[in-house]
Amino acid sequence: MGPARKDPEEVGAWLVRTVQDVTDLAISLDTMNPVAMEAGLKLCKKRPLLNSASGKADSKAGMMQLALKYNTQVIISVITDQGCPPDVDSRVESIMDTVAYANELGIKNEDIWVDPIILPVSADQKQVREALEFIKILADLLPGVKSVVGLSNVSNGTPAPLRGILNRTYMLMLEKNGLYSAIADVLDPELIELNKGGMPGIRGLVNKIMEGKSVNIGDLDELDRNYVNTARVLLGETLYSHAWLES
Amino acid sequence: MEYKAPLETYSGRVKEVVIGKRDKAVKIGGENILPLHYFEGNAANKPKVALEIDDSGAVGWPEWVREPYKDVVSDPVRWAKRCLDLGADLICLRLESTDPQGANTSAEEAAALVKKVVAEVETALIVYGCGDDKKDAEVLSRVAEVCRDENLLLGPAVKENYEPLGRAVADNGHCIIAQTPIDINLEKELNVKLLKQLPPERIVIDPLSSALGYGMEYSFTIMERTKQIGVIHGDFAMQMPIIADLGGECWKTSQAKASREQGILWEGITAMSLLLAGANLLVLRHPDNCRMIKEAIDGKL
Repeated sequence: MGPARKDPEEVGAWLVRTVQDVTDLAISLDTMNPVAMEAGLKLCKKRPLLNSASGKADSKAGMMQLALKYNTQVIISVITDQGCPPDVDSRVESIMDTVAYANELGIKNEDIWVDPIILPVSADQKQVREALEFIKILADLLPGVKSVVGLSNVSNGTPAPLRGILNRTYMLMLEKNGLYSAIADVLDPELIELNKGGMPGIRGLVNKIMEGKSVNIGDLDELDRNYVNTARVLLGETLYSHAWLES
Repeated sequence: MEYKAPLETYSGRVKEVVIGKRDKAVKIGGENILPLHYFEGNAANKPKVALEIDDSGAVGWPEWVREPYKDVVSDPVRWAKRCLDLGADLICLRLESTDPQGANTSAEEAAALVKKVVAEVETALIVYGCGDDKKDAEVLSRVAEVCRDENLLLGPAVKENYEPLGRAVADNGHCIIAQTPIDINLEKELNVKLLKQLPPERIVIDPLSSALGYGMEYSFTIMERTKQIGVIHGDFAMQMPIIADLGGECWKTSQAKASREQGILWEGITAMSLLLAGANLLVLRHPDNCRMIKEAIDGKL
């Protein structure tokens, strides 16, 4: 819903009603506005996922309390009042603090979905790898929590026709590192196919790149080559440019 | 046991670009080391210094940088020869008058002037357009044709005009300046696009040079990263030499206009910094700085 500045109560309630008219699935409710959030949560028939809380002081006081009051599952991101932590260590520090706070309130790890915050590869290539590393160690840090990412943000700023392959490759890479779930572009049929375990050859190639094994790019067809080059860019092995598939 | 200092060696090498031809040729790049780290490996060519001239009579240049040329600024050929007498390795001719916001000289006139300078001046030539991407594509393409096979360094090619300009440069035997606005990702993108038209030995990177106090540290960082990515990480699309076109940027600052001493220092410090960052070719205006930077390059400072 975004900030839902106008009539937040009405908008929150309308949206949940409208969605529940067409599906019985549980709802992940996303707004920065606590009034809109509460109005929506009140109407959810299935146990919802509150998207999202964070380590920011106003989030701890607002969203976290709503999660408790309505007994929701809750996404907790690594963001703090200082912004998005710049590397793995500071992401760890932030999430440990915020989850400890949630635990003290009575929210169990099993109800927490951790969001490492995905940043665009075109804006800050290093962050893409930091989030990957974070997902890899999350299960050891906080047993029982799930993970979730806003996947398409990795390709924000990249020309539209090229966004899909960044999203898809990054999904495979995050999955290899243990990612539990992603908020993703369901209108991308190739992404859905990969998500269902299709295209094992592509998955195998991406895994090889992540494991540092050598891949002879000359032996590959264009599709395979594109995934390999994309994985290398997302790992930070080659410098990103909008022309990364052309080099 | 004798102590031997450990040395870093790198897998990448900056491409050698040759500007001009025969005895007028000037070579830049070719190193497999970080800037000025001569002890680490091998640098085929030391950085080179160009002095700048234009076709508009140095309009707007502060008097202390105009002074060494004041009797020749209306004649680009004599001005270029003066620059060589003052120690420049090569000449950078800026076609200021082609600017549609200014005198709007035609492509034909500009090309005729370049041809004349090429014929009469005993060194390699860099030719910069006025910075209007449409006009530059027209003017520089014509310069490329009229001066066919003279192997000029022509630019700037930017995102908006690299296709026609790259074609004209490739078809007529010249080198091109790939210019992007202080952004490493856009820099690589333009290089990748130009590499489809030209070999890397015919491309020079212009990441935009800002003056001291006006964002020089951004230019420094981009040049430094370009070298690291090309030399240390061996990225083929980032292995072209770098041009630091900084004289004009420095001499338009209020600090440079305030006094002779301050102006020379402003350009000198900017030049020295960007030399350390990895520039292979510097475009300057004041002869004192040309001399000083060349001494620094030769290790005499």
